[in-house]
Amino acid sequence: MNFRPMAHLFANALEGFFFGSGKAHVVTGVALIILAGLAMSLWRMDRRLRRLESEQHDPKA
Amino acid sequence: MTSGFRSTLQTAAAVTRMEWRLEWRQGHQLAAVALFAVASVYVAFQSADRQTATGAWTAMLWLVYLFSGFTAIGRLFDRERTANRRYLQWTVDPLGLMLGKLGHAILTTTALTALVLGTFILFLGWPEGLESAGHPWWLMGGAWLGGLSMTTTLVFVTAVASQVQAGGGALGAVLGLPLLLPQLILATRLTRGALDGTPVAMLGEMPLFLAALSTGTSVIACILFPYIWRA
Amino acid sequence: MSSWNSLWKWGSVALLAYVIVRGFSTPLQPGLVESSPSRLAPGKHALTLQAVGQPFAEPDAESADFSLILRSGKELVRTDITAITPHSVEADVIIPEAVPSPAMDAFLFTPEAGTLFLGNAFFVEDAAVGPLPADLRAEAPTEVAPDLGFSFPYQPTIVESIRNLLWHVPMWFAMFFVMGIGFVASLAQLRTGLVKWDLRAEAAVRTGLVFGILGLATGSLWARFTWGAWWVSDPQLNGALVTVLLYSGYRVLRAALGEDERVGRIAAVYNVFAFVMLVILLMVLPRYTESLHPGKDGNPGFNSYDLDNSLRAVFYPAVIGWGALCYWMYTLRLRMNRVEHHLLTR
Repeated sequence: MNFRPMAHLFANALEGFFFGSGKAHVVTGVALIILAGLAMSLWRMDRRLRRLESEQHDPKA
Repeated sequence: MTSGFRSTLQTAAAVTRMEWRLEWRQGHQLAAVALFAVASVYVAFQSADRQTATGAWTAMLWLVYLFSGFTAIGRLFDRERTANRRYLQWTVDPLGLMLGKLGHAILTTTALTALVLGTFILFLGWPEGLESAGHPWWLMGGAWLGGLSMTTTLVFVTAVASQVQAGGGALGAVLGLPLLLPQLILATRLTRGALDGTPVAMLGEMPLFLAALSTGTSVIACILFPYIWRA
Repeated sequence: MSSWNSLWKWGSVALLAYVIVRGFSTPLQPGLVESSPSRLAPGKHALTLQAVGQPFAEPDAESADFSLILRSGKELVRTDITAITPHSVEADVIIPEAVPSPAMDAFLFTPEAGTLFLGNAFFVEDAAVGPLPADLRAEAPTEVAPDLGFSFPYQPTIVESIRNLLWHVPMWFAMFFVMGIGFVASLAQLRTGLVKWDLRAEAAVRTGLVFGILGLATGSLWARFTWGAWWVSDPQLNGALVTVLLYSGYRVLRAALGEDERVGRIAAVYNVFAFVMLVILLMVLPRYTESLHPGKDGNPGFNSYDLDNSLRAVFYPAVIGWGALCYWMYTLRLRMNRVEHHLLTR
């Protein structure tokens, strides 16, 4: 893929803002961090629930 | 099957008749709704002072209509919550009961339309710049149909809300208001069109949608009501 | 079994990571935005065409490689390109006293990016209708169909915000999906009266509501960009708002019923009703009324874009990823409900 920053044709204010200034990478990074945080918290919940479920199914508790 | 359906219809007719007779006998409840409607119209009249744009006129009309409808339908299942509920539960076919309540809602809507629209025009007159409505019959029909789709939806919502022991009335409003948005949007557009005299061809589909919505909600209510009733 | 159980969960996260990276780093195909002035009288004029889109190859800036041609009716009008700036293409054009049609389209032929088209670029005022003089006519250059690589299609007014397609639409799909699960669970509850179905319905509505709110938020953002307002009165938007309020009502109803033993049945009745209203409000009514929202006479939402392969290659993973993530959240809520129910009834 050809991916050159801000060559001079067709580069208007909008994409100068989004791609040219590198903000697209910031947006990608933030979205990935949010996704990772969400996935981690879901996974932790999943593990905790598994523990609770096994406790409930064990008559020992 | 046929005789079962016939007895359901007979039950429905009996329930409607009973509801209506009880309304007359306990006149204060009917009077309360009428008083509410007329008082709201009068407040609207006082604040608008006979100079209202079509938009504001329509908005006030439907606000008055909406809350009068809430007061009228909101206590429709109050009687069934108390002592005679158990007796009715054994003796009355739930579908018949629901159809009866819907029949009562149609009567209420008709009375309410006449009352609200009548007093509204009496006090506020027509919107600024209009001698009369562009299509008077469409205005009346639209108000009635809009009111009908409003009350049929409210009948079901009230049936659900009346199952809650305390605070059923407030719950009815919470559940009912969002549900009434589409009907109200259609009804207000239809009213504005009828006032402005928009060509009938452009208004034509709105009554159809309103009728479809009220039929739809009535049918769902009839299917689901037995489940609430026997709960 | 257990490995599959964690595989699909992390798979959904990986898919979404792919969607985020691809969705934000894929360049947009170039396109023409608008022409200024937008109305011209006969005579010689300087014309400026705004353009967007990332460049795909180093342009050598030789304006001889580009040609801008206008179309009036079926005839082509010649222009002279005077400058190519980072934001636009500038050209001189002579508008004759008579044109075949007052509405003029613009074509910009470029060697790297192919032909860029702007329909009804401007209107000719105060000109008669007639054939063009021969000296103003242009020959159509031979079109090139360059390989633009992996890039998203250019859509007028949507432009860069087309990336929101990967968020907004799959979120509503995910919401439909879990609300559908809730609907089926509520039907089963009404048939059997078993608590396990009620736990499912509650979990489904709770999860679906989150995605419904996210769908509203992303939609509102999109509306701001394309229609210029955070919210407009439109059948599809009204339906979406009513649907979210309706399902909030479900939660209010459950809270109001509290410990009542009939809560399962009454909530199920309400949920069935809510889902029927969802189908009517979001899938039936908007198709029969005028709507700004795309897709009203076809598949909801992405009708006009789904021909593009590069967008598809990200959109389908997005649908699967959001759907699976939503289902994961639903199962977590369901298991939580089960644990809670177990504790309360022991």
